[in-house]
Amino acid sequence: MIQVTIDDKTLEVEAGTSIVDAAKSAGIFIPTLCHTDFLEPEGACRVCSVEIEQNGRFQVVTACNYPIRGELTVKTASERALATRRTVLEMMLARWPQVKVVRDLAKHLGITEPRFAHPQKNEDPHACILCGLCVRTCREGVWQNVLGFEGRGASRRVVMPYDGVAPECVGCGACAFVCPTGAIQMMDDPNHPADAARIRRAGMVVTKEMVLLDDDQCKMRRAGTAHLVEIMNDYDLLPVNNYRFGSSDDAHKISSPHFVKRFTQNIQDGCALGCDMACAKGSDDFEITTGPDKGKRVCVDGPEYETAGGTTNMGIFDPEWCIEMNYYCDHYGVDTISYCTLMAFVMECYEAGVLNKERTGGLELPFGAADAAMEVLHQMARGEGFGLVAGQGVRRMKKMFVADYGADPDFLNDIGMESKGLEYSEYVTKESLAQQGGYGIALKGAQHDEAWLIFMDMVNKQIPSFADKAEALHYFPMWRTWFGLMGLCKLPWNDVEPTDNAETDEPAKVPKHVAGYCDFVAGMTGQEVTPADLIRMSERVYNFQRIFNLKMGFGQREHDRIPYRSAGPVTATEYESRAERYDKQLAEEVDFDPAGKSTDEKCAALRTWREDRYEKLLDAVYERRGWTANGIPTLTTAKALGIDKMDGLVDLLTANGAAQ
Amino acid sequence: MPKVTLENLEKLAADAEAARAGMRADLCVCVGTGCVSAGSVALVDELKRAVKDQGLDGELKVTPTGCNGFCAHGPIAVIQPEGAFYERLKAKDAPTLIQKHFVDSTPLEDHMYRDPETRELVPLEKDIRFFAKQQTIALRNRGIVDPEDIADAIGRGAYRGLRKVLAEDMAPEALIQMLIRSGLRGRGGGGFPTGVKWQSCCAAAVERSETPYVVCNGDEGDPGAFMDRSIVEADPHAVIEGMIIGAVAVGASEGFVYLRKEYPLALERLYKALDQARAWGLLGDSVMGTDFAFDIIVHQGAGAFVCGESTALMASMEGRAGEPRAKYVHSVEYGYRNRPTVLNNVETWAVVGQILDRGPEWFASIGTGDVSESPWGGSSGTKVFSLVGNVNNTGLVEVPMGITLREIVYDIGGGVPDGRAFKAVQTGGPSGGCLPEGSLDLPVDFDTLQKAGSMMGSGGLIVMDDRTCMVDVARYFIEFLLDESCGKCTPCREGLTCLNEILTRITEGKGRDEDLGLLEDLGAVLKDGALCGLGQTAGNPVLSTLHHFRSEYEAHIRDGKCPAGTCKALIKYTIDPETCTGCTLCARVCPTECISGEKKQLHTIAQDECIQCGTCLDACKDDAVLVE
Ligand SMILES: Cc1cc2nc3c(=O)[nH]c(=O)nc-3n(C[C@H](O)[C@H](O)[C@H](O)COP(=O)(O)O)c2cc1C
Ligand code: SF4
Ligand code: SF4
Ligand code: FES
Ligand code: FES
Repeated sequence: MIQVTIDDKTLEVEAGTSIVDAAKSAGIFIPTLCHTDFLEPEGACRVCSVEIEQNGRFQVVTACNYPIRGELTVKTASERALATRRTVLEMMLARWPQVKVVRDLAKHLGITEPRFAHPQKNEDPHACILCGLCVRTCREGVWQNVLGFEGRGASRRVVMPYDGVAPECVGCGACAFVCPTGAIQMMDDPNHPADAARIRRAGMVVTKEMVLLDDDQCKMRRAGTAHLVEIMNDYDLLPVNNYRFGSSDDAHKISSPHFVKRFTQNIQDGCALGCDMACAKGSDDFEITTGPDKGKRVCVDGPEYETAGGTTNMGIFDPEWCIEMNYYCDHYGVDTISYCTLMAFVMECYEAGVLNKERTGGLELPFGAADAAMEVLHQMARGEGFGLVAGQGVRRMKKMFVADYGADPDFLNDIGMESKGLEYSEYVTKESLAQQGGYGIALKGAQHDEAWLIFMDMVNKQIPSFADKAEALHYFPMWRTWFGLMGLCKLPWNDVEPTDNAETDEPAKVPKHVAGYCDFVAGMTGQEVTPADLIRMSERVYNFQRIFNLKMGFGQREHDRIPYRSAGPVTATEYESRAERYDKQLAEEVDFDPAGKSTDEKCAALRTWREDRYEKLLDAVYERRGWTANGIPTLTTAKALGIDKMDGLVDLLTANGAAQ
Repeated sequence: MPKVTLENLEKLAADAEAARAGMRADLCVCVGTGCVSAGSVALVDELKRAVKDQGLDGELKVTPTGCNGFCAHGPIAVIQPEGAFYERLKAKDAPTLIQKHFVDSTPLEDHMYRDPETRELVPLEKDIRFFAKQQTIALRNRGIVDPEDIADAIGRGAYRGLRKVLAEDMAPEALIQMLIRSGLRGRGGGGFPTGVKWQSCCAAAVERSETPYVVCNGDEGDPGAFMDRSIVEADPHAVIEGMIIGAVAVGASEGFVYLRKEYPLALERLYKALDQARAWGLLGDSVMGTDFAFDIIVHQGAGAFVCGESTALMASMEGRAGEPRAKYVHSVEYGYRNRPTVLNNVETWAVVGQILDRGPEWFASIGTGDVSESPWGGSSGTKVFSLVGNVNNTGLVEVPMGITLREIVYDIGGGVPDGRAFKAVQTGGPSGGCLPEGSLDLPVDFDTLQKAGSMMGSGGLIVMDDRTCMVDVARYFIEFLLDESCGKCTPCREGLTCLNEILTRITEGKGRDEDLGLLEDLGAVLKDGALCGLGQTAGNPVLSTLHHFRSEYEAHIRDGKCPAGTCKALIKYTIDPETCTGCTLCARVCPTECISGEKKQLHTIAQDECIQCGTCLDACKDDAVLVE
């Protein structure tokens, strides 16, 4: 801590604190113009000039960017400081006599008329005063870097490249928002929305939060989703060895700092023009060490959390390997989640003796077999060897291994992590019943993007009863479906939240953001909508999709089954690795005294209880959704949603016992 | 080609010198930018041909060299070792020169230097007054060494200082202490002690375990300045050697030279010198056969004055607009790519090798330096100046610190031409100040000039005679600075605009009494309020002229007169009926043909057509043109 005296107040500040910040904390006002909290100070306008004394030396400095690094005395209103400030304002007033911020600041300093004439006098009240806030906001905040200064000295002005309207401008409006004079006007939107200003206001709320809050809350801009690796590991949710475990002592080897140092492209995403969250990351100049592109230096799009989590799920903790795998999956057109989850299954089968070197074409594939796993990926792409087997996915492999190698079907069904034929994404759901439902009921298969309830359920315990969980499993899938309907990304909804979100009635829903989405729809279409209206939109589509699934042979209760590995410990090792947790649950919630019982007995007791709870959850959710006990929307539900007029729908529901 | 090692450097040097000594004479022909544009490349070719034609191949060597400094007299050839000086040579003069000087052993009088005062011929370079008081360190190889031949440079002692550093395996701190003891202060303008700068960089690099950079500032944006260009053109290896030594001191493995693109010849020679240094093992993975690795990359600057400012220079090197940032955290700590960075001027780097070779005490013995109490004590060594303006001998001069302005202007420069009176000397480049007659006996060093309201700057010296209007001089520099201001900060951008406006008004006779106070206020706010050195010193031209020549401002404002007779709006040319002889010369030169009069009759100027260009004034041999 360093001692500073500002005017008559003495205070201690951390080294590096700017004079402006120090003064603010002491309640002393220093005027600023080109400075704002969320940008690197620029020191351009010189309005914040103050006089300092250090080791007997007096000096005028700008308070916004002077870092306090040693003991120092600041005079915010010494004669010299004021003379500088006043003359600066006088110059500005001479050039821009009608601009309000300039007039106000000048007046505050006691200047009403400049003593000199300015050859570039500009009477426009909205003239640009060259503060540079817009340029820096675009560069540092929005990361778009479209605005810049052109011309030296007196001809300096703000432009887009080549003095035109740059196509790279995403129209976020942040520059217009920060401009203190109103010099920047947004152009009419090409889509002709009903109320462009309303959309922009709603958008600006998000932009502002991303720029100001993300570094503290989520680090999406700096690290992307990769920052989840360490969080998931801390909460025992990071899949390790085919979801047996939720954390590993080796996780630090593949945590986000390893990736962040590779991310050189902290730029806006291509996936959504103007998205300030900019979560997509690129690993540049990466040298490939295997396969057809060996020796090439490439740019890899990623990795995302799922790719890193999938890597640990194979017992591999090597970030370089992860990036290479990411590259080849992209290159071959393979989804990294499916690849990782099916490889984890293969590895467990290998360790369990279902597979062996003969059956894998000579590859040794226990957990952690990084080189062999990469080779399988190449074989999948080439359509040869064991790749032909693995490439079929978990569901078909289970059948093949039972038929060809006489494997135990129950065991394979327990550990083969798929539902509706889709491989699980990379979260351990064992301790969150609601999340098990989220994966199991999801229309397109075992995926977390309909509902991500682990924290609400397991960590914050906000949805204890079946009814609570069912409500959450109604609202959130509908809400997330809505993003799909709108073509919007869901991440900005709740990855970064307003600072006062916790004080709202339903923090999990992020009510302020929901209100913003209502503004967005109204601004687009000209029709006012309520949050309930948005959910209604989704319910119609969601129920129709479920009925469509039914028609295609998928939409019944049996299809919402999940492998037991996602609900509890399948093997004795798994149980024992978290024995304390499971024993406690048996004793407290299952009414089964674990003392003196074998692991197998305890496993069985726990399983019965957990499987039963999953069934009860399905009952509760189906009921909440207006579905039959077999998971089919009733005719009443379809009618209420106005989707009953579809050809053959009544017959289909009737045939499936949902005519009521 | 040989690889230079710690062991063989002396031998290589001896070989090169022996080759030269074996010759009867060495014709050193200047191929600096000035002489090249006056045809010296062809001269070199013709001389070589003439030597051959006379069958003197084995006896005479023709060496193209860097700028001699006496550019106005170019193309120049100096015959070594005797030192005979020939000027204004053309390619066609080559055979005659060889014939007369070497075959007939009679000097070629037509091309010898004639003292402008005594009108006597001066055969030897060392006797020419322009050279007499000079002492060269940075430019010691000018006019002697072929800048495109590393062997030649080695023969003259290049890389000896570096060899010492590497052979003795000097610890960085010991090396830095030597620099501090030498009293070397930065030649780029600020006069910051070079050793201290290296020390801070070293400390920052160690503290953050980062590899620092060394950078050479060759931006040289001052109008009329060509010190750095000449050094690079004449002796690029001196700069390279200095940078390698700097790199050893701070632990850098990469260095950069920021050289402006408008210096094609300097760039070409630097690239060649770097290639040769690499080929000879002086740069690269193993410098002089040791395990020290270092290389130098050249950045071409686009020619903005502000890009000479350290932070703007680094921004420009990083590919951003050349705009300065605040230096509250200095670039020795966070410089190029945010790494600790040592930035030194070309001339600073060029003397480092000499300091190591000849010892810091030798360097400190030259000039006014005394670092016994502080590294800021006095100014050691020499300084290169470009001496221009109203002075008989213009050119590039290197003089010991502490020499007086009078010695430079009168002894070296040969005084003010045409018998006119000295009025002021402007030092320090565009944001320096103008010093009057009374300051001529001041010793030239960093602190004295600063105290006198001017500065050393990078070494511009402009001499002005009594026909120079000081208000107009101030306006000229302010206009230049306004043009070159980056425009980032308000005081510089708007302050210079307002200063320019006021000064222009005054020179147009529209000044107001309160203007002088305003000028002072604006000058003060620039000093305190501007972001970078450009703006902070931009008030100097105004403040120093106001201080020393206030009455001249007052004459413009109160009496509507320009005492020097140059502000067009305030002057009127007339012809004195008493002295006009009717020679018609003025009428013949007037571009608007507004002077009329019969031969041998009084001539008159039609005032409404006169554009106050002053051609008649200069032309009239009888001083009959009067300025009011
Ligand atoms: C506007 C401005 C222009 C400058 N131009 C140059 C230049 O052309 N060459 C130079 O060496 N230093 C120049 N400087 C000084 C540099 O910022 C820096 O101090 C110097 O290069 C450091 O080297 P030195 O310590 O060897 O002098 C300039 C400074 C300012 C403020
Ligand atoms: S447009 Fe506005 S924000 Fe941008 S520099 Fe001008 S005044 Fe500042
Ligand atoms: S003082 Fe001038 S050159 Fe320096 S930053 Fe300010 S505007 Fe740019
Ligand atoms: S607010 Fe500090 S310089 Fe503009
Ligand atoms: S260029 Fe030849 S003397 Fe300067």
